[in-house]
Amino acid sequence: MLKAAQPDRPDALTWVFLGLGLLLLPVGLYLALSAPPDVNQGYLARIMYLHVPGAWLGYLAFFVTFLYSLLYLFRQNPRYDRVALASAEIGLVFMGLALVTGMLWARPTWGVYWTWEPRLTTTAILFAVYVGYFLLRGAIEDPELRAKAAAAVGILGFINVPISYMSVKWWRSLHQTQSIDLTTGKIHMDPAMLQALLFNLFVFTLLYLGFVRFRALLAALEARKEEA
Amino acid sequence: MGRIWLLALRDLRLEVRDRAGLLSILAFFAVMLFIMALALGPEEEPLRRAAPGVLWVALAFGSTLLSTRAFALEVEEGTLDDLLLTPGGKEWIYLGKLLFQMLLLLPLAALALLMVAGLFYLPLERLLPLFLTLALGVLGYASVATFYAGLLARLRGREVLLPLLLFSLVVPVVLASVRATTGLAEGLPLAEVSAWWQLLLVFDVVYLTASALLFPVVMEG
Repeated sequence: MLKAAQPDRPDALTWVFLGLGLLLLPVGLYLALSAPPDVNQGYLARIMYLHVPGAWLGYLAFFVTFLYSLLYLFRQNPRYDRVALASAEIGLVFMGLALVTGMLWARPTWGVYWTWEPRLTTTAILFAVYVGYFLLRGAIEDPELRAKAAAAVGILGFINVPISYMSVKWWRSLHQTQSIDLTTGKIHMDPAMLQALLFNLFVFTLLYLGFVRFRALLAALEARKEEA
Repeated sequence: MGRIWLLALRDLRLEVRDRAGLLSILAFFAVMLFIMALALGPEEEPLRRAAPGVLWVALAFGSTLLSTRAFALEVEEGTLDDLLLTPGGKEWIYLGKLLFQMLLLLPLAALALLMVAGLFYLPLERLLPLFLTLALGVLGYASVATFYAGLLARLRGREVLLPLLLFSLVVPVVLASVRATTGLAEGLPLAEVSAWWQLLLVFDVVYLTASALLFPVVMEG
């Protein structure tokens, strides 16, 4: 009974997500490399298949952190705190990926690695918010206070996500607007490119789900060790 | 509402009676503005252009310094738990501390505005719209700062953590306030500036409600 409640190895679903994600990753890469080149940017636009899913999953991960932080505050179940932690960590990785690929993309298209443009700036700040989230976690010893304080940051910090997402529309500037606009449902993209992008997004989502489940399990093991 | 005023006025009285804290924050403002003016050079044009940014960065630093004061005395005297033990909801503690912050920050912000106007050639022709920007922006700072100050009040490393968490969160407020101030300084029509005021108002409402709702949940236990 106890073992079922607190498993000490990943369950089947975690392995399915991770395995499928890793298996499909080369397929996504193949699709990305065989997709037609962009009218304006040529082959350069292919970094999009890495950049866009990275950013989207970063946003999604922070949303999950927000959701589980809320759940934790109202239910006080440590499990929710662990999922929030796991998602924030994976989200930070994906957001970092989006930032790095964005910089690599910016150098040939805009001529600079970094510019103080609203989308870039808000994304960097978003990154800083979740770095702060982990610094805060590291500073508090008491597990319950740590979870509560982290949940508060996870909730308040999420306010920056819609700002970052909408920044390209609010301040029309250097960064191109969304190719798939979630607010209006309009898609400005070639169908073949869209297919490749959506497939890569799907693969990344599988990986995200697998990583989060895996990380939350690790956090549970850590917590059990801390108690013992 | 009575409790909120009571708490705010009590804190204000303690703060004014102490004087040392307020004076040190004023001195901090002045020194910071001097350093920035020195760093940006003696020419008038770059100073004027930097003025709105300098004003809001100075206010951001000032509000972090002040927010630690909101709960410092309570922790020192061990009265935070007494406050939390009072029957009924806990939102009024947050709101009272926020009101105290606003009562201190508003005059300080007005003074900072005058100092920036003097040192950085910020034009003061449209004083009322400038004050409106100040009030909206300062409320945005204070609402988050007070919440985090309460959350971190009992922590050891709070002096470093607070600005770190705070600055990344109030960036939208900084941005909107700086844009509004720049617009006013450059003489843009009020209709254009008011878009930034609306944005500020939205942030203020969001931060204030979220903090007031979260505060009781986070402080209990």
